[in-house]
Amino acid sequence: MKLIVVLAWRNLWRNRRRSLLSMSSVVFAVLIALSTRSMQLGFYARTIHNVVSFYTGYLQVHAHGYMDRQELDNSFADPDSVAALAERVPHVTLAAPRLESFALLSSDSTTDGARIVGVDPVREDRLTGLRGKLVSGRYLAPGDAGILLGSELARHLQVAPGDTLVALGAGYHAATAAGRFVVAGTLTFPIPELNTSTAWVSLPAAQAFYAAPGRATSLAVMLDDERALPGATAALRARLGRGYDVETWKTIMPEMVQYIQLDNAGGVLMLLLVYVVIGFGILGTVLTMTLERTREFGVLIAVGMKRRVLGGVVLLESVLLALQGALLGMLLAVPLLLALAAHPIVLTGQAAEALRGYGFEPILPFSLQGSIFLSQTTAVLAIALVAAAVPLVRIRRLDPVTAMRRGV
Amino acid sequence: MSRLAAAGLLLALFSSAAASAAPAPDATEIVRRADQHLRGSTGYAEYTMKLVRPGWSRELTLKSWSKGTREALILIESPARDRGMSFLKLGNEVWSWIPSVERVVKIPPSMMTQAWMGSDFTNDDLVKESSLVNDYTQTLVGDTAIAGRACWKIRMIPRPEAAVVWGKVLIWITKQDDLEMRLEYFDEDGALVNVLEMTEIRMMGGRLLPTVLTMSPRDEPGNHTVLTYRDARFDQPIADSFFSEQNMKRVR
Repeated sequence: MKLIVVLAWRNLWRNRRRSLLSMSSVVFAVLIALSTRSMQLGFYARTIHNVVSFYTGYLQVHAHGYMDRQELDNSFADPDSVAALAERVPHVTLAAPRLESFALLSSDSTTDGARIVGVDPVREDRLTGLRGKLVSGRYLAPGDAGILLGSELARHLQVAPGDTLVALGAGYHAATAAGRFVVAGTLTFPIPELNTSTAWVSLPAAQAFYAAPGRATSLAVMLDDERALPGATAALRARLGRGYDVETWKTIMPEMVQYIQLDNAGGVLMLLLVYVVIGFGILGTVLTMTLERTREFGVLIAVGMKRRVLGGVVLLESVLLALQGALLGMLLAVPLLLALAAHPIVLTGQAAEALRGYGFEPILPFSLQGSIFLSQTTAVLAIALVAAAVPLVRIRRLDPVTAMRRGV
Repeated sequence: MSRLAAAGLLLALFSSAAASAAPAPDATEIVRRADQHLRGSTGYAEYTMKLVRPGWSRELTLKSWSKGTREALILIESPARDRGMSFLKLGNEVWSWIPSVERVVKIPPSMMTQAWMGSDFTNDDLVKESSLVNDYTQTLVGDTAIAGRACWKIRMIPRPEAAVVWGKVLIWITKQDDLEMRLEYFDEDGALVNVLEMTEIRMMGGRLLPTVLTMSPRDEPGNHTVLTYRDARFDQPIADSFFSEQNMKRVR
């Protein structure tokens, strides 16, 4: 056994150039597989982050039963305490309370239905970048009496900042909701629904309007990492207890989950293609190596070396090469991916325009998720070991005389 | 549901209850008579509306004036937050005056099927003229007693051309005094949707009236709305100008 190891090790360094060439094919294979998957996962994480930043947040806290009946009567009291509690959960960066319902908005000329959302202006801006969507007028101050309108809604109502709107609707516990709001500003979003039928007021103004003092219908929660979602959900559920429901973006936006699943299927297919290319690359170097050494194998068998021992030596060579290659590949991938994660590839042209249109930064982000190092390196190692079967088959079938004479 | 407009919110009146001794059991005639008894020249009422929901309830006090079937005005007196709000019905249209924003708003067609003031009555219930006579085909299906009063039970199926949301309405009318005691509203699949029950029959404003009306939607077991009349007056002259946008802002 020791002999096999010694022989294999010596064989590797006997033809240094050949070994390095074989190893480099594994190194590049690992690099390519790792960076491909890292880019895919990075893109999904980024997309999820972008989408939850439009409105929903990664998580939402509601009073129990709110998702089935989205009414003010299913609101909860003391949102500040609930937000403070949520913000103590690890990975939670922000919890923004909202009080929202539908009401009629009337200008002097016309009336339109809208979702009027009461928000904490500072937190809402940190969550959705609301202030950055402003196209005219000013943003809300905490406790503001003004109203922000989606640009299409403002256009339909024929109002501009400074004009007064009357809002009418049903409040908490069947109270009448009636109020006057001065238009503070208008906002433009890439999502039609926010443009055409949504209005924002400060939380206290919404509470007064809906006759729901000190209440909120939802708490949108942001995380620093999408992967913390299951843990944060469980922690929130445990801390809040039965009176509350905690929903993830996956249940709030099931269509988004489907989109990502669909896209990921394409991504996995692409990854399989990468594996095929990698596999043939490694197979090529192994075949060359086997052909080169056919004469050597013939001599060894002719002088009495057992085929099994020879096979073991060659297999061990492959394993050592693949392991070293994989290790080296990982070592090279870490700084590469770290650099790409810190300085994502900036897109240009039409792709960039399309992403900007949705309010996304036109970049290709990379994921540093630890599990992909393990999974991709394992996959490449498996491919390399399958390729190692080639010399084994040759050794088994080898006729030493022909091999020595003609090298086949 | 249209009956509610008359019987419930707008307070209909009952005609002089000259003992209807003729027991001719013609269903259409019974319904027409009960209906006519709700149509005075004018009506005025003070009442409370209590919404009962699981875990909470809300009570409003209101006044209403009506003239014939086409004109009505409702004023909310309490709670304080809604005090001074008024609703004006002219024909098929309803306007609302909201003093806190000093604005008269016409209730858009899309909101007519929504709850009126959060109750189990809809905006539509305010508007619809009594159509139990004209929009339905009445058939006498039996007689039973409700609260010790002998009643005709009449099945009403909407006429094909009528704009009615119900598939069937059952109504119980007392054999004496032509009082409506109970209505059951069924959807087009034959499922019971709403039940309106009239109780506490006594003299008010010189007439025998059911003074408590309870509307119970069947799909929400914990919910119901109770109208309780405190006062009623009939046949007092009201000028047409009373039912106007100007007056809905200043009526007290």
